[in-house]
Amino acid sequence: MENIDKKLREEAKRLLEEKRVDVLIGYETGTLPLTATPCFITNPEDAEKLVWNAFCTQNLAKFVHDLVSQHRESQKRVKPEDRKKKVVGVVARGCTTRSIILHLQERQYGRDEVVIIGVPCTGYVDRKRLSALVNGEDIQEGAREGDQLVVKTTVGEKKITIKDALAGNCLTCRFNNPILSDVMIGEQAPPMNPDQEYVEIEAFENLPTEERWAYFTKEMDKCIRCYACRQACPSCYCKTCFVEQSQPQWVGLGEDTTDTQVFQLMRLFHMVGRCVDCGSCSSVCPMGVDLRKFLKKIDKDVFELFENRAGSSMEDAPPLSRFNEHDKEDFTFNP
Amino acid sequence: MEKRLIKKDALTGIIGKIAADTTVYAPVKVEDNVLFKVLEKGDEPLVTLANSKNAPKNFFFPRTEVMLRYTRTTKGMEFSGGEKEAGEAVLFGVRPCDARSFVLLDMLFDQEKYKDPYYIDKRQKTTIVSLACAHPPYATCFCTSVDGNPVSSAGADILLVDLGSDYLAEIITAKGEKLLKYFGDVKADAAADQKKEAIAAQAEKEIKVQIPAKAIKPILDVNFEHPFWNTIHQKCLACGTCTYLCPTCHCFDISDEMKYGDGRRLRNWDSCMFPTFTKETSGHNPRPSQKERWRQRAMHKFKYYVDNFNAIACVGCGRCVMYCPVNIDIRKIVEDISKL
Repeated sequence: MENIDKKLREEAKRLLEEKRVDVLIGYETGTLPLTATPCFITNPEDAEKLVWNAFCTQNLAKFVHDLVSQHRESQKRVKPEDRKKKVVGVVARGCTTRSIILHLQERQYGRDEVVIIGVPCTGYVDRKRLSALVNGEDIQEGAREGDQLVVKTTVGEKKITIKDALAGNCLTCRFNNPILSDVMIGEQAPPMNPDQEYVEIEAFENLPTEERWAYFTKEMDKCIRCYACRQACPSCYCKTCFVEQSQPQWVGLGEDTTDTQVFQLMRLFHMVGRCVDCGSCSSVCPMGVDLRKFLKKIDKDVFELFENRAGSSMEDAPPLSRFNEHDKEDFTFNP
Repeated sequence: MEKRLIKKDALTGIIGKIAADTTVYAPVKVEDNVLFKVLEKGDEPLVTLANSKNAPKNFFFPRTEVMLRYTRTTKGMEFSGGEKEAGEAVLFGVRPCDARSFVLLDMLFDQEKYKDPYYIDKRQKTTIVSLACAHPPYATCFCTSVDGNPVSSAGADILLVDLGSDYLAEIITAKGEKLLKYFGDVKADAAADQKKEAIAAQAEKEIKVQIPAKAIKPILDVNFEHPFWNTIHQKCLACGTCTYLCPTCHCFDISDEMKYGDGRRLRNWDSCMFPTFTKETSGHNPRPSQKERWRQRAMHKFKYYVDNFNAIACVGCGRCVMYCPVNIDIRKIVEDISKL
């Protein structure tokens, strides 16, 4: 991993020095043990901060979209002839590149506005899973030793196999290597376990309706409407979310269970054919709502109906933004 | 005031007895979260917890509260009251940092210029039983930097201190005295007091993090415009995790909900991290980007509250540090501001 950090820093520094990017989004070491956090680098010297490891959680495509839109907004007040282009560099693993592809397909920015530094990924550590593995004890120190994490808590030291702490979406990831990149750092990562992708979902589908609904309501009851899921999601980029519209007000702002369910349901349905299974929403949720269960079910449906996996290739357009006369439609009416 | 000693294993029984007579809110494990909730039959209150995920401020200042109800009639609008009056309740197992948050919130909701009836009603009817931190539970704890203390009784009506084999129960206020009957009749002696002092001294030493929270006020006074404010918000997701879990954040937004002829006016939590925060009807927002909103968060906690009430609006519980999804660390921000 030392080696990959070194290459990454060199590459980032070069891109910034050659002014091929105006800003580079990557990860730096966090202030808590066993964490990494997004960072924004404009000074080539600061490229030294960059890291790439199993603690890099967030899908950085969200920030690419943010920066490009903010820049475009700021250019509106500039004379057309004086407008500048801004190029954003980003450290991207498989799911991040899927999100970028989706953004490009949805015409959010041009290919020339983003420079992708591809990195191989073997999954990230899910903080909540790690916490559960140490019985919720406060993690005071931690280090990685090979494929193990040595975690020091208030009650002592514990060794944890990294694989046990990986996020669910990483364990069955199909696209852990970048699909699209301008520069590739490191060797291709070995495949994860995509054959098991829908095992949990099939089990869920086989439950009676009442039980599935009970699971949905139980999970939604945990939601505190902090909107971390929406904010972390690269596909949730509406300028104004329907939740924040007041004329008309689609959904109440209070604690009412139905309002919370409506918010989550609407977000889920906006994810049809657009969820890249990066796990960001689940990882940021402070209350541990199992959002992925529902998103993955939608993902499975989309694949079965349209043979599409969001952002898996530039050519394969999102199913809801293309027309195909052979699309299945038996779910719309029963003759 | 009175002091009692109770056997350690007697505590759960005592909570049970109180719960039989009145409503008790206590930390309970719900799946992977420890949450403050109403103790129901069969619930096991956690007495050895680190701290709850949600802050107990929720009970005095809930996420949603009905302020008033109204009905459209042929004679015009008819108004009726909001929530029913609160009942007597006991908030059990509050950590000293969270108990101190009540002292800070009182300054705002129960002051000379304004008295908030919703908050005050619940606050007056609730007895707070604090559980001192004999060992500060998190590496991120920093209560001593913001005028707190792991064994402090500020904000508590009764303070429980773990002395090893017993708990020392100190009755702090008259409200706390009403619960005295539940705590047995073994009076605490001077030895218990000494033990408590030793534990308090040790606990304070165990807090590893010290931040210059009190030193930054003069710096904030003169640095409203500073390039530093361009640096902290970039990675912020603009979610409400920090403010919603914070024991002292108290911004709210009032909205009306009407269905057919019946309406209710709600007070909901707001968050300075949200894009709609302070957005005006015209569409104008005096805090148009996350930069201004982050400046607001830092200023409100470490300057405006000090200006208004001579207290920092942070109790050092560390929730925002631990649960921020992108690791924006208020401790580091304070540190960086002190160097401006």
